[in-house]
Amino acid sequence: MFHLYASVKMKVAGFCLLLLLLTGAFVSSLIFGRTPLTFSTAMQAFLHYDAALIEHVVVLTERLPRAVIATVVGASLAVAGALMQALTRNPLASPSTFGINAGAIFFIVIAIVVFSVSSLVQLTWVAFVGAAISAVTVYSLGSMGKDGLTPVKIVLAGTAITALFVSFTQAILVLDETGLQDVMFWLAGSISGRTLDMLIPVLPYMGVAGVMSLFMGRAINLLITGDDIAKGMGQNTLLVKCMMGAIIVLLAGSSVAVVGAVGFIGLVVPHLSRAFVGNDYRLLIPFSALAGAVLLLSADVVARLLIMPTEIPIGVMTALIGGPFFVYIARKGVTKI
Amino acid sequence: MFKLGKKSLLVLASMVLLLSIITGCGTNGQAGTTTDSSKPAAENQAQGTTNTQTSEAESVRVIEHPMGKTDVKGTPKRVVTLYQGATDVVVALGVKPVGVVEAWGEKKVFDYLAADLEGVPLLGLETQPNLEEIHKLKPDLIIASKFRHEEIYNQLSAIAPTVSTEVLYDWKATLKVASQALNIEEQGNKLLADWDSRVADFKQKMGDRLPIEASIINFRADHVRIYYMGYAGTILKELGFTRPPGHDADTWGVEVTSKESIPDMNADVIFNFNYAGKDAEANKKTADDWMNHPLWKNIDAVKNNQVHQVNDIIWNIAGGYKSAHMLLDGLYDTFKLQK
Amino acid sequence: MRQHITFRNKSDSISVHMERRSLIVICVLFFLSLSAVIAGTSLGNTVIPPLEVIQSILKIGSGEHDFVIHTLRLPRVLVALLVGAALGVSGAILQGIIRNPLASPDIIGITGGASVAAVAFVTFLAGTVSISFMPLAAIVGAMIVSITIYLLAWKNGVTPIRLVLVGIGISAIMGAGTTFMLVMSPYFTAGKAYIWLTGSVYGSTWEDVYLILPVTAVIIPCVVILARNLNLQEFGDEVATGLGAAVQRQRLTLLAFSVLLAGVAVSIGGAIGFVGLIAPHIARKLVGRPFGSLTIVSALVGSLLVFVADWLGRTAFYPLDIPAGIFTAGVGAPFFLYLLFKNRNQL
Repeated sequence: MFHLYASVKMKVAGFCLLLLLLTGAFVSSLIFGRTPLTFSTAMQAFLHYDAALIEHVVVLTERLPRAVIATVVGASLAVAGALMQALTRNPLASPSTFGINAGAIFFIVIAIVVFSVSSLVQLTWVAFVGAAISAVTVYSLGSMGKDGLTPVKIVLAGTAITALFVSFTQAILVLDETGLQDVMFWLAGSISGRTLDMLIPVLPYMGVAGVMSLFMGRAINLLITGDDIAKGMGQNTLLVKCMMGAIIVLLAGSSVAVVGAVGFIGLVVPHLSRAFVGNDYRLLIPFSALAGAVLLLSADVVARLLIMPTEIPIGVMTALIGGPFFVYIARKGVTKI
Repeated sequence: MFKLGKKSLLVLASMVLLLSIITGCGTNGQAGTTTDSSKPAAENQAQGTTNTQTSEAESVRVIEHPMGKTDVKGTPKRVVTLYQGATDVVVALGVKPVGVVEAWGEKKVFDYLAADLEGVPLLGLETQPNLEEIHKLKPDLIIASKFRHEEIYNQLSAIAPTVSTEVLYDWKATLKVASQALNIEEQGNKLLADWDSRVADFKQKMGDRLPIEASIINFRADHVRIYYMGYAGTILKELGFTRPPGHDADTWGVEVTSKESIPDMNADVIFNFNYAGKDAEANKKTADDWMNHPLWKNIDAVKNNQVHQVNDIIWNIAGGYKSAHMLLDGLYDTFKLQK
Repeated sequence: MRQHITFRNKSDSISVHMERRSLIVICVLFFLSLSAVIAGTSLGNTVIPPLEVIQSILKIGSGEHDFVIHTLRLPRVLVALLVGAALGVSGAILQGIIRNPLASPDIIGITGGASVAAVAFVTFLAGTVSISFMPLAAIVGAMIVSITIYLLAWKNGVTPIRLVLVGIGISAIMGAGTTFMLVMSPYFTAGKAYIWLTGSVYGSTWEDVYLILPVTAVIIPCVVILARNLNLQEFGDEVATGLGAAVQRQRLTLLAFSVLLAGVAVSIGGAIGFVGLIAPHIARKLVGRPFGSLTIVSALVGSLLVFVADWLGRTAFYPLDIPAGIFTAGVGAPFFLYLLFKNRNQL
């Protein structure tokens, strides 16, 4: 299914399809929800905004931020996943399997329960730090030892860190039941109720990292041929790896900071994208970004429609999609990319 | 090389068999529970008789409740309450419990019960009360709820006759079972009559202003709750308030995160839980955020300036008889009625 | 001085081979567990003198403390010990078969399956079906999920790595399911489910003892007898098959034992984490690799771990009763990291 070199036609068709899907998903995100709207109402809200109309207010203050966050976060997670899979040479790598979600959430729970931090902006930064710490820990734990990074070691290290943070989190929550509900949606991940105010502080980092990732395609293509070859071709592999690491932490950390634990986007999307554009990272990165946005937007629309008036946490949705995919790859065989 | 042969299938089949046998044992063991439970209770009663034989002749009363039937002898003097509503009701009945569970929200004991419960030992949390501590108090009656204490009901029954209610917030059920078990049913009926007359008084004084459509909401750090027919919802209904469509569903309520749900709160009057406890600041922040949204300004209660802050302990957590009166007191003030 | 002691039956079809050192370790641990029964029953906020405990257990005492001992403390202590033993052996089997020091029932999804089933039970059926059927739900859940994991990991046989990875994936799905139900159910039930998810032997009764005792009493000896084969498996598939062991069949049997033990333990004590991971490691430090003694020692170490955790839970914050799982996680999680660091060359 995953060809290294897909035909040019396939690539072009893939990109076109993806752009169509993205538009469709974005529009669906604007019009479906608690109050169903029509496409024209949504358009009217942009063109002739009338603050007296509930529909217009809903579109601009709720649906639009939500759609924008889903797009940006979906794209970021997918790119982070693609880079992680290249950096660790592990098809199972992704922000969630690395324990980044669990680490960030543990820090958030500590901040809420122990230090009574309440501002969402502050929590955003706490999450960011937690994400970075667990990513670095897993990478160092995974790359220690004589074989260096092996796929299994990375996955186990990620699982270990996740288990560690999850049990700490549970311990705190059991001791302080009143805090349980207030962190529940962090635990499960949610795009609902997040405002653009939360996205804006991290947007510059995501933007810089995203743009950097687009220019790294060539270097990554060289890197995945193997360290020795890359070095032989005159690449400073350490520099490339460090840059990739920084991009990953920025993208994944900010994403978790905005929406909480949304897993598996970073795992699923790069694999699906490879089916269309092959393993050429110059194309794979932009393609993954678009596909990630589409996937998260659609998951979010479904999550809000299934059990109205309340919503399925988006993290649960993505895990239900991504878990089986993880199993599928594990079955297929974990060989180095 | 590793093909699954017939033998392996045989092993697999035998494993399944073993499983069914074991789980079978499990169910048998569990089924035994119900029959066994009467035994320790009986033993305990035997003990009880020797201790209190000197007192007046005692009649055994059978109390029916959601966990079964319980024999209660005479007039229990040492009652242990295992949920907030029961503590409130027992105090209201004029009985000082010998042991209570820790309160939620206000640490250890609710402020409004502090004077009545002075010196009463705490038995841990409502979710996992300390059984040894209960036993040490040598109670002659335990009031529990099926919802919280189903798993430990047999052990509780072995300590003392235990009666229960189905849920925590049904204070009338609590009052009924508690007054029956405590052998002060008259007192219970009197309290209920007091309440009914106050309800009638409230309705009469409100007159034409009723029915009023009311919704109950609670801002939390990262979500908002809309309460349906929990403790406060049931009381409001009794008082002649109506609820927005869907809010009279037989469940505690929903959690929402999107401000799109603001129109769901629409009503003539909104009762909004106050911001107390350690999350006060965070809750206030959410409230400010939501209340600044254009949709909020569209709500009838907001337009008519009918959003009232109410104490969440009285309106939700305490779940008892005294708290119901306090809730009603608050409503008299809100609607500027003569008490 | 003999280094080995061998127990065997006449036809020599069953033999258990044991080092002298292992025997001593087992005796010491067994003695410790026995004292745990006495000490655990005697220690509490009210200390009952050990002598009275023994008298009461033998029914020759004054009867003064009979209620606290027989109804409250003794079943709880026994359940803690048995749950620990089941988890310890379950972990030892998994680590032996998967040949991975990080394998344990929690990591590869067995506990997850039991948890989902139990939380679903609490969420959807509590109130309509008696809660005493929850253990059954948990066992069935563990069973179904493990069979699923095994089948999904099957591809011309089951390799340990694929089993772990599939387990991790399934674990994630189960976790999502659990979170989903916790978010959906009324908040008070969620709090209840959370305590259960952390793992606690609070409120254990004799019925719980009668449920878990036969399972552990039958399965653990079976595991010890099968141990010879597992010793072979540690060399790897190729060597083991070369030596004539029908690897897949043995693996399946042992896995089924492991699942049963973990399922029963979780159904009674909830998801008490990390015991299945730590116990076999401590056991290996004490008696080395031979699997027969390793099984017994893992059982005993697991027992003592859960016992101590529960004892701390009910006394440390008296009268609050803290779930035992919090303490096992507190010890277990850092230990996991240490293992990861220590085994960095073997993974």
